Amino acid sequence: MTFWFAYGGRVRTVLLDLVEKFNAAQSQVTVRPVFQGDYFEALAKLRTALVAGVAPALSHVVLEVVPYLARAGVLEPLDDYEGARKLSLVPALAQPGSFAGAEREPLVSIPFNRSTPIAFLNARTFEDVGIAPPTSWDELAATAARLTRRDPTGEVRWGFEVPISWWYWVAMVGQAGGRLVEPSGRVTLGGDAGEKALAFWQRLVHRDRVMRPPPGRDYQAWQSTNESFLQGRIAMMWSSTAFVRYLEDTARFPVLAAPLPGDVRRSVPTGGSAFVLVRSAPDEEKRAAWDFVHWMCETEQTIEWSTRTGYMPVTTAAAAELSSRGWYARHPNDRVAFDQLAVADPWPWSPDLFRWEREVVEPRLEEAVLTGRDVRQTMDEAREDAARPA
Amino acid sequence: MNPRARWHPWAMLGPSLAVLFVFFLLPMGVAAVESVFAWDLLTPPRFVGLDNYRSLMARGELPALLIRTTGYSLMVVAGTMALGLVLAVLLHRPGRFFAFVRASVFSAYVVSWVAVALLWMWMLDGNAGIAGRIVRALGGPPMALLGDRRTALPALAAIGVWKLTGYSMVVFLSGLESIPPLLLEAAALDGAGPFARFRHVTLPLLGPTAAFVATTSLATSFQAFDVVRIITQGGPARATELLVYAIYEEIFMNLRVGRASALTVVFFAMLFAVGLASLCLRRARTVS
Repeated sequence: MTFWFAYGGRVRTVLLDLVEKFNAAQSQVTVRPVFQGDYFEALAKLRTALVAGVAPALSHVVLEVVPYLARAGVLEPLDDYEGARKLSLVPALAQPGSFAGAEREPLVSIPFNRSTPIAFLNARTFEDVGIAPPTSWDELAATAARLTRRDPTGEVRWGFEVPISWWYWVAMVGQAGGRLVEPSGRVTLGGDAGEKALAFWQRLVHRDRVMRPPPGRDYQAWQSTNESFLQGRIAMMWSSTAFVRYLEDTARFPVLAAPLPGDVRRSVPTGGSAFVLVRSAPDEEKRAAWDFVHWMCETEQTIEWSTRTGYMPVTTAAAAELSSRGWYARHPNDRVAFDQLAVADPWPWSPDLFRWEREVVEPRLEEAVLTGRDVRQTMDEAREDAARPA
Repeated sequence: MNPRARWHPWAMLGPSLAVLFVFFLLPMGVAAVESVFAWDLLTPPRFVGLDNYRSLMARGELPALLIRTTGYSLMVVAGTMALGLVLAVLLHRPGRFFAFVRASVFSAYVVSWVAVALLWMWMLDGNAGIAGRIVRALGGPPMALLGDRRTALPALAAIGVWKLTGYSMVVFLSGLESIPPLLLEAAALDGAGPFARFRHVTLPLLGPTAAFVATTSLATSFQAFDVVRIITQGGPARATELLVYAIYEEIFMNLRVGRASALTVVFFAMLFAVGLASLCLRRARTVS
């Protein structure tokens, strides 16, 4: 049974180890993992493979595209698979909790690598400056200003950096009190909050000059942000909990994770990806895929996956086990994302969600932050595009 | 030589025509049809008339794309031709040393675009790139050529020039070879200095060669994709989004088959126009 996955680096090693373990643990199913590039490249390949009728039985896809794929009817409903209802998934990470309005939808996705955005701090720099992690936007701006240092040579240590990306923008929309879709169903992309979030970025970059937008698009920008942080070129960044272990192990300074600050309220989206089975795959392969997914959700594997990467444990049993083992006491950075689930906002279950992300919002964020373009105009245009049928 | 039967030429042309039809004309026709539909591959296509073209024109997206692509092409063509010609003239000498330098310059052309893109991406990296380090060591400001939307496109064009110059140099060298030494000697006897000889003898005789280099590097640069895909993915803020990359992004990233097809049709029309113009120009010249 072929399994398409989309990780590089350390996460990939951990996944391949787990697959090997699964293959060795039983003799009925052999999982063949195939690397397909980052989330978006892998998704592009999956979609074309679906059309060509050559898609593998098992993949994992970025969360925001699940409603679209479900509507297109290409995902296997999982409700009736053995043990599907008894997985004891963490409510905020399971499909009904991850999406608002998904309660009546058939179950088509099982959480795999799940994350929230968190702040990473260079603890040494924070100690040198004598400053605490910011808890509000104003504090963030002030902290970033104190941390930013300009050498006469032109070298800059930036106070703050975050990939100019949909995920972090959504976090700030929530923090500023907005939501992408109003309860009435109207798509506002956060309304004033969406503009406020964008304007805050512009302020940090152009007025305060305490933040540098990282170069590169999509995960290149994430990677470059991580690298700059590890090189000590930035004192504080927002990134994914996925990198906790990698950053801790690689940095030559102590790394401190902190929850994202709030504005009018605290809020984070959840992220990462979910396992999906392809409906058109042969039954036998779908059963094999399910065996693997089910095995991955067992406490032991969930714990290994979580502790070796930084992703959150997806079952309550695994989370409880980690607590009772004292893991979180020893690794407080691992706790930050999980604790943030208390303020996590679900995604709207909309087939258009992924289109808003990729086509409507993401390209405009970069443009607005780099060029300082008017935020009202930018978001008006975005809303216009979002409302237009695909 | 006349064919013995009217169908003979067609039989000879048959295989190439078949290949051309199956792999070029047919897909082009399919693209033209698909360009009037909205289709995401997974759900049934919906007829939308000219909406795809209209939405490309809205907010000046298509014109911006065409201007950017043309600008990139012009930079690459001008750069490769100028540099190729200079190198050809300088290196058009006997001796092992010059042969070695010629081979070195040409070697860039042989390397795959992917390798070239990765190489330059690292060299121009804002943080760790060697280019930035040298500038900083000399007391210059920190710079990220690829991260700045004003310099990113020229930087990509410079990479294109670096890669393609070897080819244009070789073509110019063969052009220089074909200039009869007698003409240059005669000009020298008439008192022409090296510059005058170059200006009045070499340059005019290189005309056809230059036209050839211009056409081929124009075609190559118009199809630029690998560098964009690997180095910038069209960023920052679309500053390096070129036509072929935009087509790729529409179809494979956004799964908008209709819009991608519309772009393809525009691209085809453009190349067709350029091809036709250069053909007419050449005909006109041959006649005169």
